[in-house]
Amino acid sequence: MTIQKCIDEKKSGFLYGNRLILPFKGRFLKVIVEKDIITDFSPSSKGINIVEEDYYTSLYFLEYNTLRETLSEYENIKIIVVEKDDNIFDVTKHKKLAVYKTDTHEATIEETEHDILFIE
Amino acid sequence: MRRSTLFLVAFFSLFILLNSDTRPDSTDTSKSVTQEKVLSHSDKTTTETEHHGAAPSPYMVIPFLLLLLLIAIAPLFFQHFWEHNYHRIAIFLGLIVTTYYATVLNDFVSLKHTLVEYLSFIALLSSLFVASGGILIKVDKKATPIVNTLFLLFGAVISNVIGTTGASMLLIRPFMRMNKDRIKSYHIIFFIFVVSNAGGALTPIGDPPLFLGFLKGVPFFWVVEQVWLIWIIAIALILAIFFMLDMNNKSGAKEDQQYSGKIEFKGLKNLGYLAIIIVSVFLDPAVMSWVPSLDPLPVGIREIIMFGVVFAAYKTADKNVLKANEFDFGPIKEVAYLFVGIFFTMIPALRVIADLAKENSDVFTSSLFYWATGALSSFLDNAPTYLNFMSAAMGKFGFDLNGGAAQTQLFLQNPDAIQYLAAISVGAVFFGAMTYIGNGPNFMVKSIAESAGVRVPTFIEYIIKYSLPILLPVYAIIWFLFFRG
Repeated sequence: MTIQKCIDEKKSGFLYGNRLILPFKGRFLKVIVEKDIITDFSPSSKGINIVEEDYYTSLYFLEYNTLRETLSEYENIKIIVVEKDDNIFDVTKHKKLAVYKTDTHEATIEETEHDILFIE
Repeated sequence: MRRSTLFLVAFFSLFILLNSDTRPDSTDTSKSVTQEKVLSHSDKTTTETEHHGAAPSPYMVIPFLLLLLLIAIAPLFFQHFWEHNYHRIAIFLGLIVTTYYATVLNDFVSLKHTLVEYLSFIALLSSLFVASGGILIKVDKKATPIVNTLFLLFGAVISNVIGTTGASMLLIRPFMRMNKDRIKSYHIIFFIFVVSNAGGALTPIGDPPLFLGFLKGVPFFWVVEQVWLIWIIAIALILAIFFMLDMNNKSGAKEDQQYSGKIEFKGLKNLGYLAIIIVSVFLDPAVMSWVPSLDPLPVGIREIIMFGVVFAAYKTADKNVLKANEFDFGPIKEVAYLFVGIFFTMIPALRVIADLAKENSDVFTSSLFYWATGALSSFLDNAPTYLNFMSAAMGKFGFDLNGGAAQTQLFLQNPDAIQYLAAISVGAVFFGAMTYIGNGPNFMVKSIAESAGVRVPTFIEYIIKYSLPILLPVYAIIWFLFFRG
C-alpha cells in the first residue's frame, strides 16, 4: 500500500513496546521522537532499526522501552518519508507524517497539518 | 508517573504529619509564635532580626550541593538513569533536610515557610505554562532581520508580563514557523538569550528568582525601578549582534512566496487566564490588606486562583491548539519535582551563607555579587542562587532572609543594599542564559526546537560558540557600567 493511500484511507499503525508498525513501505529521511532527531538509518544505527516486512515496516526505537508511555496525549512521532517509487531528490515528494498514540495499541497516522511545526 | 505523584504526596503528607504532631511540643513555643507572625505576609511591621531556630550543621548543605551537581551533570553523563529517577532523588534529598529540621532542630517554622514559598512558586510557573500552552500564534510575515529583531524585542518585553516561561512557550513556535525556510541554530539560541532569560529581568513575574525575591518581601516595582537602564543596554547589545548575524543569513523562502502579513491567534480565551494570573500575583495580604490570609494553610487566595487556572485552562483549552502545540505536562512536572528538592535542601544552605556573609561582610562587593551570582546561575538553577546571594547580602547588614518580608524591606532602605540586590537580580536573570541548564525555559525551548526538527548546539557548543563569545562580553560591559567596585 502506498503512503498516500494509507493517509487517505486513515489506516492505523501499531505501537508495541519500542516498536512502531507502519502499514506502508517507504524511504525514511528523518524520524523525530521526543527530543531525538534520528537521521541515521544504517544497520549500525544506535537510535533506530528499520525492518521492512512484506507489506509493512517496523521501526524499533532502540533507546526507548515503551513508546506509549513516552508519548503524551498531544505528542507525536514525526516522520519524513518518500514513496518507494517517487524521486527522493524531489522535495515536493517528501511527506511529513505525525503518528499519535491512542487508548489502544493502535496509532493514528496523519499528514502534518500546517499548524504542527515540523521543519525538515 | 502515578507512582511518582504518590511519592510527592507522601512527601508533603509526612511533612504535615510531623508538623502537626510535634510543633506543640516545641521547646521554644513563644519564639514559634513570634515566627509564625513573621510568616504572615500581612505582618509588615515585624522587626525581628534574629534567625529562625538553631543553626544547622554545615554538613546539611551537602544534599543541596549534591542535587545541584546532579541537575548540572546527570543529563549529560547518565541521561536515561536521571530521566527515570530524578524525582525520587530530588524528593529523597529534600526529605533528608526536612527530617533533620523536624527531628533534630525542631524548626517547623522554616519548613512551613519553605512550603509556602514552594507552592507559590510552582503555582505561578504551572499556571503560566498551561495557560500559554493553550494559545497558538501564527505570523504570516516574511522573516527578515528587522522583523526577527523586533519579534525578539517584543518577546523580551512580554516576558515581564507573562514570565519567561510563558513567553517562551507562546512565542518559540511562531518564531520558528516564521523562519522555517531560513532557520539556523542561532535563532533558537538568541531566543533563549533574549526571551527566555535577559528579557524577564524587569518584574517578579519575569523570572523565577525575582518572584522568589518578591515572596521574600522585595516590592513588585523595585526591580524595574532599579534595572531598567541595565535591561535596555543589555537587550540592545544582544539584539544588535543578532541583527548582524541574521543579516548574513542568505537562505530563505522563494522570492515569489506571498505573505498576508496577518497575525492569527487561536485559544484567545487563554489570554483571559493569563490576565487572571497576573492580577492574582498581587492578591497577597502584604500587597493588598483586604486580601484574607488563609494561615495556617500553606497556600493563599493567590495560589488557589493560580492552581484553579491550571485546571480550568487545561480543561477548557481548544484541543486542536493543544495538539498543534504538542502540549505535554512533562516540562512542568520536571520543574515541580526538582524544585521541591531544591527548596527544601536549600534551607540550611541559605542560613549558612547568611551567617558566612555576616562574618565576612567586607569581602562582599557589588562586583562579587554580580559575578558570583552570575557564575553560579550559569550552571546551577538561578532561583536558589539568587536566594543564596540575597541571603548573603542581607547577612552583610545583619538581616536574615528567612526572617520575613519586614526584614527585606528594612534591608532595602540602605543605598548599598540596593546596589547589591540589583547586581544579584541582574546576575541571576541574565546569566541564566549562559547554559541550557541556567534557567528552566532554556531546556523547554531546546526541546520544542528539537521536536520540531531543528538541530540545536550541544551543551558544550552552546557555551563555546554562543554564550562565551556573545553574552560574556555584553555582561562584562554591564558590570563595567553599573557594578564595578
